[in-house]
Amino acid sequence: MPQSREALQEKRKNLSSWLLSLPTMIWLACFFLVPYLIVVFYSFLTPDIYDVKFEVSLEAYRQIFTDGYLQPFFLSFKLAIYTVLICLLLGFPVAYYMARASEKLKNTLLILIIIPFWTNLIIRIFSWRIFLSYSGVLNEALIGLGMISQPLEIMRTNLAVILVMVYVYLPYMILPLYSVLEKLDFTLLNAAMDLGANEVKAFFRVTLPLAVEGIFAGTLLVFIPALGAYLIPQLVGNQRSLYVGQVITYKVKNIPRNWPMASALSLTLLLMVAILLLIMYAIYRRHLARRHY
Amino acid sequence: MEDIILQNISKDFGAFRAVNEVNLTIKSGELFSFLGPSGCGKTTLLRMIAGFETPSEGSIYLGNQDISDLPPYKREVNTIFQNYSLFPHMNLFDNVAFGLKIKKRPKAEIKDRVQEMLKLVKMEDQAAKHPDQISGGQKQRIAIARALINNPRVLLLDEPLAALDLKLRQHMLIELMDIHDAVGITFIYVTHDQGEAMSISDRLAVMNQGRVVQEGPPDDIYERPSSIFSAYFIGETNLITGDVHKVYDDYLELHCPDGTGKILVLDSSFHKPVAEQSRITLSLRPEKIAISRHKPRHQDDINMLKGQIEDILYLGSHTQYIVRVGKLKFRVFSQHKRVYFDDKALDWEDDVWLFWHDTDTWLIEDNPFEVLADAELDDSGNLKRYVKRSKI
Amino acid sequence: MKPSRAKLFKGLNLTAFSLVMVFLYIPILILIVYSFNDSRIISGWQGFTLKYYAQLFSNPTIGEAFRNTMLIAGLSTLISTSLGIMAALGLENKRFKARGGLLALIYTPLVIPDILMGVSLALLFNFTRVNTGMVTVLIAHVTFCISYTVIVIQSRLEGFDYSLVEAAADLGARPHYIFWRIKFPLMLPGIIAAALLAFTLSIDDFIITFFTSGRGFDTLPIYVEGTIRRGTITTINALSTLMIGFTLFLVVITKRIRKILISAL
Repeated sequence: MPQSREALQEKRKNLSSWLLSLPTMIWLACFFLVPYLIVVFYSFLTPDIYDVKFEVSLEAYRQIFTDGYLQPFFLSFKLAIYTVLICLLLGFPVAYYMARASEKLKNTLLILIIIPFWTNLIIRIFSWRIFLSYSGVLNEALIGLGMISQPLEIMRTNLAVILVMVYVYLPYMILPLYSVLEKLDFTLLNAAMDLGANEVKAFFRVTLPLAVEGIFAGTLLVFIPALGAYLIPQLVGNQRSLYVGQVITYKVKNIPRNWPMASALSLTLLLMVAILLLIMYAIYRRHLARRHY
Repeated sequence: MEDIILQNISKDFGAFRAVNEVNLTIKSGELFSFLGPSGCGKTTLLRMIAGFETPSEGSIYLGNQDISDLPPYKREVNTIFQNYSLFPHMNLFDNVAFGLKIKKRPKAEIKDRVQEMLKLVKMEDQAAKHPDQISGGQKQRIAIARALINNPRVLLLDEPLAALDLKLRQHMLIELMDIHDAVGITFIYVTHDQGEAMSISDRLAVMNQGRVVQEGPPDDIYERPSSIFSAYFIGETNLITGDVHKVYDDYLELHCPDGTGKILVLDSSFHKPVAEQSRITLSLRPEKIAISRHKPRHQDDINMLKGQIEDILYLGSHTQYIVRVGKLKFRVFSQHKRVYFDDKALDWEDDVWLFWHDTDTWLIEDNPFEVLADAELDDSGNLKRYVKRSKI
Repeated sequence: MKPSRAKLFKGLNLTAFSLVMVFLYIPILILIVYSFNDSRIISGWQGFTLKYYAQLFSNPTIGEAFRNTMLIAGLSTLISTSLGIMAALGLENKRFKARGGLLALIYTPLVIPDILMGVSLALLFNFTRVNTGMVTVLIAHVTFCISYTVIVIQSRLEGFDYSLVEAAADLGARPHYIFWRIKFPLMLPGIIAAALLAFTLSIDDFIITFFTSGRGFDTLPIYVEGTIRRGTITTINALSTLMIGFTLFLVVITKRIRKILISAL
């Protein structure tokens, strides 16, 4: 019975895998999957002041497409795109510099990038309020230097939102870029230049294509939280043009509550993220396919 | 006395058969090697003896006990891993003491035994170091000490020298032999390096594609390869394939299709009679061939060929000539103590005679396991080169 | 021509790096300086004071929020790390039938905005009529920490040298002994990294806590946000400075822990 000997071993390993992962599976099923089913369910109900009435209704979806609820989506999407682009432009040279630094310096630079990342989010946003507000540090300094006579109104604008989002999410872009650039064989650049490419050409033909994976990862890591952000627009953004995250939160937190609306908006946001992921995946696949020629 | 008996061992990984019906008997105290290219099944076979894999078919005996189903920790067998696998979070003393600590031996005994083992491998003053603080060769020694402290009946060594550089490898090889002599237990040694296997083994098994192709003492395998594979894998050789045209009293006439034409070969070295019209393959080692610009007078055209030098490689201890004979290329090794008949060194495109002693050719038997597709044949049916195939 | 252009490139990168450093640290520095500024509103420098620190320590609400934060962070780290260790060990078996499903379940939360996890959990607790409070916040924190702990521990396990397990078995160690003496000690750096990550994520979280905490159960981020909204920001600077100090302390500690572990390995 030598075959069953191996089969038995296999079975035992499978069983222990089940036992080990079952708690996590159950946890995520109960508190991650099931809640989304309830979101879907609630999006088809009728709102009540504090709760829902269990009457089927498509009202929430109708409102999304007719009552100006798409505006926050456009705004969120636009500002998230800006954030990603600025992070990429700022993050690439930084990651590049870090990747080419000496081994000893690398760790220090890495820690320097990570410390703000470990500082509490609200505190970091709050510090920007001190910096940007009407009588804040920036305005005091600029007036003091005589560069402006009237304080700039940066707080509570989209510009402030983008600025703070770049500030908060920049490390998410730098770290994946750094990790691919660090593995990049810089002798390839020398080879390219040896073959006649100048620095600019070598960068676009060699460095950039090899860093694509980092760019993809960084883009996702920045875009997804930027799209769903609540705190940043809430604390520094213009309160007359709301962000998706704010609208959803108000529907849950403000009275009268509108659970179905919050649910429908959440699902729309989820759908946006899913479509985005699919597009990114398709582009990535094509990139890989092209690479294997 | 037999120590390890492998009885009809096969191992399948899904549809891939890594080891195929292996039967081997390894004697007590022997230094036995499994030699073969990567993917030939030698490591799998070793892992089955150690207990990391269970054979799909067949049984493994240690002495007269069937150990096929025993987990590794119940076998009186210890292993030296290719990358040594020293525990990185323990110092060298604790690494070596590991086996005894599991057996819960008294502290004093552990200390004595560890010291003894460290002394055996000449590492007695480094016990407090951690594995990342010592060199590859030293890790090797610690791995040996860690295994031998358990007094195993058999020590398994999985390509133990592969990670070392050439000089150290040669040194460790001698040291391994010394340790083998000192402890007197059975060593099973796995390697893809024919030089290592030849120099260290009492006996060895040449493996290819999951099977044992040939088994025996090193000189036996070198001088009398049973198959094209073992002839090629161990050392270098020239293969002459031809049809037996006529069998005379003490020699035979071999016709090599489209190649050298007629060769007369003395058959005194043949270990079995050949029939007329049959196709045979002969192996002729490069160092057995003498090379000269002059035709030897005493040999009546038997065991000689005329060719032209195509390439000369100076290799220090000897020179390798590539000599074209018809369509065949012969490899000839010539020591530098040669005496030139006309005081002139051989040069490219010189016409030369190749000749050899009548016992130097070896008839290769048909090997049922040999897969022809692995050997690349040229138009005339001669073997151009052997393609080492590695699956997995 | 060429070397000067290469230098220009390098200079450009260094400039970018320095600018980004200024960008990342200036706001934090301002915050720290302003925590000593004797002014009730955001304004120029009015003089040095420590009174906000004094207010901070005499404020019982902040003390409670701090205790809540630590309690939630500690418990969610403990639970999510334990679950993470187990799941990572389960995922080790590449032929585990539910491996793909489990991996999908673990990775999906990472590509969904946090706010959606907050909303969906709020709905769950509304639907099941569970009173929100400490328990619901704890559940939420464990849920978003699990993915990270599993991934961190699992990625460390990927590089695990299995021949060490074989070597131990070969030397006579039984599976239990091997796990506790060989495998677990070698997994420990990954486990500590995972636990620290979970801890930081937990004390940092605002949005998911915001959706799942009831009235009367505030963590520090919730308290800070509420205070900012109400406009009474005097103590926030001081609180922030202390929290930044705490972060730096954690960074140093981790480095220490890492160093100790590395030297022990």
